[in-house]
Amino acid sequence: MPHNWRRLSALAGLLVLAAPLARAQQSPGGSLAVTVTDAASTRPIEAARVFIVGTSVATATGVDGKATLRGIPAGPQTVRFLRVGYAEQTKAVTITVGQTVTLSVAMSVAAINLQPVVTTATGEQRRVEIGNATANIDAAKVLEVAPVGSLSDLLNSRAPGVTVTTGTQTGTGSRIRVRGMNSVSLSNEPIWIIDGIRMTSTQADFNTVTGSGGTTGGNNASRTGDLNPDEIENIEIVKGPSAATLYGTDAANGVILVTTKKGRAGAARWSVTGEGGGIQDRNYYPYAYSIFGKRPGETVSSRGFCNLQRVGTGECKADSTTALNIFGNADLTPIDVGNRQKLGVQVSGGTEVLRYFVSVEDEKEVGALSLPQFERRRIDSLGLPLRPWTSRPNALDRKSLRLNLNATLNPKFDVALTTNFINLAQRYSLESNATAGLGSQVFGGPGTTENGAVSGVGTPLMGYRAWTPYYTWSEKTGQSINRFIWSTQANWRPTTWLTNRVTVGNDWTGRVDDNLLFRGEGPPLTATTRLGSRGINSVNINNLSVDAGSAAQYHLTSALRLTTTVGAQYIGFRSQGAQTGATQLAPGSQNVGSGTQLVVGEGTTIQRTFGVFIDQAIAIRERLFLTAAVRSDQNSAFGTNFQSVLYPKASMSYLISEEDWWKAPRFINSVRLRYSYGQSGVQPGPNDALRFYNGGITSVAGLDQPTVIQAALGNENLKPERSAEQETGFEVSMLNGRLNLDATYYSKITQDALISAILPPSYGAVTSQLRNLGAVKNAGAELSITAQLADNKNFGWNVNLAGAMNANKVVSLGDNPPQIGVTSRTVAGYPIAGLWAQPITGWQDKNGDGLLTYFADAARNEVFIGDSIIFRGYATPPYSATLTNGFEFFGKKLRLQTLFDYRGGNKWYNNTERIRCTRPNCSGRNNLTAQLVDQATNIAANEAPARTLDGYFQPGAFVRLREASVQYSFSNALASKLIKARSLSVVLSGRNLKLWTKYRGTDPESGFNTTGTGDAPQEFQTIGPPTYFVFRVNVGY
Amino acid sequence: MTNKTNTGRPFSIRRVGAAFALSLSLSTVACQTANDRLLQVTDPDIINPSDVLSPDAAIALANGAISTFRSITGGNIAGGVESSWMFGGLLADEWSTSSTFIQNDETDQRVIQENNGSVTGQLRNLYRTRQRANEAIAALTKVNPTARALIAEMYLARGFAELQLASDFCNGIPISNVFSSEPTNTNPQSTAQVFAYAAASLDSAISFANGTDAPSVVINRGARVARGRVALALGDFVNAALFVAAVPSSFAYQHTFSLSSSTNTLWGQGLSSRRYSVGDSVEGNRRDIFVANALPFASARDPRLPVTIPTTGAINGQDGLTYARITTLWGQLTAVDVANGIDARMIEAEAALKVGNTTLWLSIHNALRAVPPKLGDIQPAALPALVDPGTTESRLSLQFREKAFWTFGRGERLGDMRRLIKQYGRTEANTFPQGVHYKGGSYGKDVNLPVTFDERNNPNFKGCTDRAP
Repeated sequence: MPHNWRRLSALAGLLVLAAPLARAQQSPGGSLAVTVTDAASTRPIEAARVFIVGTSVATATGVDGKATLRGIPAGPQTVRFLRVGYAEQTKAVTITVGQTVTLSVAMSVAAINLQPVVTTATGEQRRVEIGNATANIDAAKVLEVAPVGSLSDLLNSRAPGVTVTTGTQTGTGSRIRVRGMNSVSLSNEPIWIIDGIRMTSTQADFNTVTGSGGTTGGNNASRTGDLNPDEIENIEIVKGPSAATLYGTDAANGVILVTTKKGRAGAARWSVTGEGGGIQDRNYYPYAYSIFGKRPGETVSSRGFCNLQRVGTGECKADSTTALNIFGNADLTPIDVGNRQKLGVQVSGGTEVLRYFVSVEDEKEVGALSLPQFERRRIDSLGLPLRPWTSRPNALDRKSLRLNLNATLNPKFDVALTTNFINLAQRYSLESNATAGLGSQVFGGPGTTENGAVSGVGTPLMGYRAWTPYYTWSEKTGQSINRFIWSTQANWRPTTWLTNRVTVGNDWTGRVDDNLLFRGEGPPLTATTRLGSRGINSVNINNLSVDAGSAAQYHLTSALRLTTTVGAQYIGFRSQGAQTGATQLAPGSQNVGSGTQLVVGEGTTIQRTFGVFIDQAIAIRERLFLTAAVRSDQNSAFGTNFQSVLYPKASMSYLISEEDWWKAPRFINSVRLRYSYGQSGVQPGPNDALRFYNGGITSVAGLDQPTVIQAALGNENLKPERSAEQETGFEVSMLNGRLNLDATYYSKITQDALISAILPPSYGAVTSQLRNLGAVKNAGAELSITAQLADNKNFGWNVNLAGAMNANKVVSLGDNPPQIGVTSRTVAGYPIAGLWAQPITGWQDKNGDGLLTYFADAARNEVFIGDSIIFRGYATPPYSATLTNGFEFFGKKLRLQTLFDYRGGNKWYNNTERIRCTRPNCSGRNNLTAQLVDQATNIAANEAPARTLDGYFQPGAFVRLREASVQYSFSNALASKLIKARSLSVVLSGRNLKLWTKYRGTDPESGFNTTGTGDAPQEFQTIGPPTYFVFRVNVGY
Repeated sequence: MTNKTNTGRPFSIRRVGAAFALSLSLSTVACQTANDRLLQVTDPDIINPSDVLSPDAAIALANGAISTFRSITGGNIAGGVESSWMFGGLLADEWSTSSTFIQNDETDQRVIQENNGSVTGQLRNLYRTRQRANEAIAALTKVNPTARALIAEMYLARGFAELQLASDFCNGIPISNVFSSEPTNTNPQSTAQVFAYAAASLDSAISFANGTDAPSVVINRGARVARGRVALALGDFVNAALFVAAVPSSFAYQHTFSLSSSTNTLWGQGLSSRRYSVGDSVEGNRRDIFVANALPFASARDPRLPVTIPTTGAINGQDGLTYARITTLWGQLTAVDVANGIDARMIEAEAALKVGNTTLWLSIHNALRAVPPKLGDIQPAALPALVDPGTTESRLSLQFREKAFWTFGRGERLGDMRRLIKQYGRTEANTFPQGVHYKGGSYGKDVNLPVTFDERNNPNFKGCTDRAP
């Protein structure tokens, strides 16, 4: 299964040709000492990047704004200075052999804060030289003011085209989609790269061996949530195949590049951060209802038989309705105020030879779920122990230690080492889709506290369905993580035109999921549940990366600068787990060994990718930048009949406003045009290509015997999905940089889409087989407008308005028929996982009784339903927009910031209401004053023969005040006077503060399956997203 | 000066360039060599087809088929899909739903949607039983041909799956009696045709189980009972009785359970999880909703079916709403009778009734009632003798009522109710549950389970041919 090495070798030969061309540029070196200061304040600027244009010579300034570049070819050179938040500068110098030239540069603050350098697969590049739109999040800057508790918070609503939906319990992961969904059956999550190596980003990474849940029944942990956002310098989002080509197979859904903080040369600088806050659940939750009434001939009113339909048909006469909202009752509610604390210390410094960054942080968060007061009183009165996980079932405790070192061993050789150890302990409530979970009980009760006792236990239900939170939360569902991420990067620049780099690193995760239920505790779920259970799932995950590359820069002419890069990459992923568990424990025991019914197992996942690429960049007169590249990949998951895959790319960036002939109104300062085309892929699962069997045991005539059963049909022709994307756009800078406009249009098509083809049951085989069958198209536009509306001493106002739209369509399913679920379908010509149903076409209270009633007789029927199942809408929002406003007062000491978030164009499946109507306790079924829309929804689902769920597909559009913050930065003098500090700032911030929507459920972002792999999220007995209020103090020494 | 400098450097540059080119070439070769090794993956979780060629492996394949076979009777599989024994019982009158699962509710209400996921799971397991049994037959025949009893058991598994398919599902079941190791699209068949396939499979089982060793005897009798049921379904009453004539009343071919593999789902879904309540002719927590045609399984207080109707303590079913009626017929590890001597007697009794031999008919029943065999975990006390009710219709009703109590929960009731319509002229309206359903709405018209939507991936299948009994 070799690569097509011949073609690649030929391409690599281009690099060899570079040598003689570059030869002419070689000369003995001189040095350049630079000092970079802020033009306004004259203070030194640290971390400014300094490049000698057309060579590999580059460095960054220390805290004193100084840096020295050595080994620069003699003669005239152009020096380029880049720093986020400042306007780019270039200076001409003449380097003399054996001497040091000094150069001082004063950089002016840019009105708009754009990252001038971006990380690419070939190394760092100037943003203006690449042909793609780039999304960059200045994490350090965001964290100064925003209430960020996780990496998801950091990403959410900060980049157009990137949609983040987060689980609602503390510690749960997120669903991230970049420019829509490419894949029908595989994950549409982007891949993550941290400091040059592949980061484990497994979603729903949680599984208990025994117990009531198996998982939490709702959202689970994801490994991206382990990281400490405070240690991150910036995040870049590579949005599509046109930009992600060189990241190879698996990058078609986008790449998220995380760069952690680095040390700067200079004296030690300490940064201490303290954070504390509250977590409130301020969501709307529905009432539960019951009707008391009498059947004809009865004299005693009772609950159970009557509902609005039966009242309407005369089968029952309603006497009264009871209503209860458990969440609104202080004694009954399972919600209280949660809390959050964080303390972090960071120090950085060093010399030009060795620089360090050290970070230590301890973070604790207790979610809003809390044992109701009535149960606390009962536990107290009985003298029963109240376990921590019963009292507060959802909590997180994270400790993070990071050491980053950068060593410049000589002007030609530098080494970087990043290390990060994370220790995490978190626990969750069983929630939405676990029968034992909270959601089933708190949403399922009958609308009265007079509903008897918990079966077999006798404690009052108080309006909960089958048991109360005490029983659900007697079971601990926890996860502990020990994680060590390290990477080392060596850069060797043997000549001024050649740079070689090697990055090696590993992301190791030791994960233990556990559940514990003592004997005699827990819900009466089954006859054996209360006999206790204990399970431990221990998993080791290794993600090894080796990435090597060489880049040669050379001038063909003075106007033509070329850069040729070749590289190779190896990614080895291995997850190996062993599970042990037992049920029916000994009294008082929490040890697996004491259980009478043992559960054991193991699981291994291995996947390896090897890829090589060559990239040729051409800069013409430093204003037209062309790039062409190709990557070839091979992967252990490909079928035996499929060898390697080639992904090409090409891009153009044109600073057209730099042309002499360019004529434009004066207020337009610069215009850049972009175009790019590229391909990338998504690999199948590790064993998807294989036909294999699984071993197990079964009881045969009373004896356990080994079994062999077919587990997969395999597919020897399996290959990766291939996504090809075209992207074009422009950037305009106006009014001296005070107004920036960035517009992008993209169109990508995924061919050979991997579809988990559902096999007919009559095959007698497995349920599905992965096949390269389909095609999926995503097209959309992204727009970002950034403006500095005011900037004077006492008042500043900057605005960012960003919007994105995405049209997703399954072009073809090959020979495969539509993939049909209960509510969502994947049908050619429609979006992936769209919502489908027989539509409710209308309703009419014909008899004027205030109720809608279904009658088989069309003349009397009051709810009308279409005959056919049709497409009803996107399951996730195709439109999004964010509006960020920042106001600065008093010389920028006081800053107010708000972030409004809009998402829409979709319907959100209110599955909570669907199941409530079957409990039955929903308004549409049992509330005599229910709105007609709710009555129609219930009748269509539960009374009419169509049984359509259409009414539960509700408007998903919303506007949310996602973040608001107030920051006050003390003057340096005052900071020094007050606490002898170099700097001091305080921030009060809030998250999820206000929601405007027509959705009739709890929240159109509330999904029980947000962290699942599917693309049809829905609310299902889910606790809504909480509101955070956080106070933060930043102190610098 | 610059020129001079340049003339002094080219050699080293050339060397570097050459070194780079050389290293690149070597890297390329090294990469190519390392390529296969780097990407070689051995997953310890899987068994390759090449490892399933030995006699031991053939037996393990047969064990796998038995494991799947059990999932269509009283067991389940990973994911907890119960069998059509239970869903057929929901659709008939054996069980009532007390779960939160809409799939169960709509089955009990007799308005089953074509995308019912539980029915899909049951359908898959029935087909998998056939396919895996057949794979094991091929393997055993090739490498372990002397294991005739085990081969016979595989034919029994295959035939029983076909019997259950035809008994529970609609007309238009895609199936073929030509077996292939590769997935094959088959054509829809009527239930009668599927019964015919079952007959062929069970005849093979009887033929292979011709030894005198204990396993052969058990499989032979089990196959004869199943074959007798098929004959009944095909209207061949005389031969049905002949097939089971030599099967003693105490006989049972069973599926067994263990804590480490699979437990009894009739217990798990019933007594343990309370998702199923024993069916009755009166429903509702206040016992005030009359269900026409439904047998009073719970309220009859029949010794063959002990039922607890709790009024205090642990009352509710899994839905937290329906008072659960539970039976102690099975425990967590109680073996289930796939075929037994009672089945044989019921076949003989029906055959006798069919030809009007009411004396024989009554004597068969009363002999069984006088000395009841063990049922699940219980040993029923002797039952009083039946008295001839005097009319053909009432005898027929008594025959099917007796059978219903003797075979409760064992996947026969739905097929028998369908036969009452097909073979005895009864109607859906006077056979299946009717009226208001206690969970809302009214009972629908379904009399069988649909071949579900997943089967439409077979281009030959366009849905059930009809939903007739």
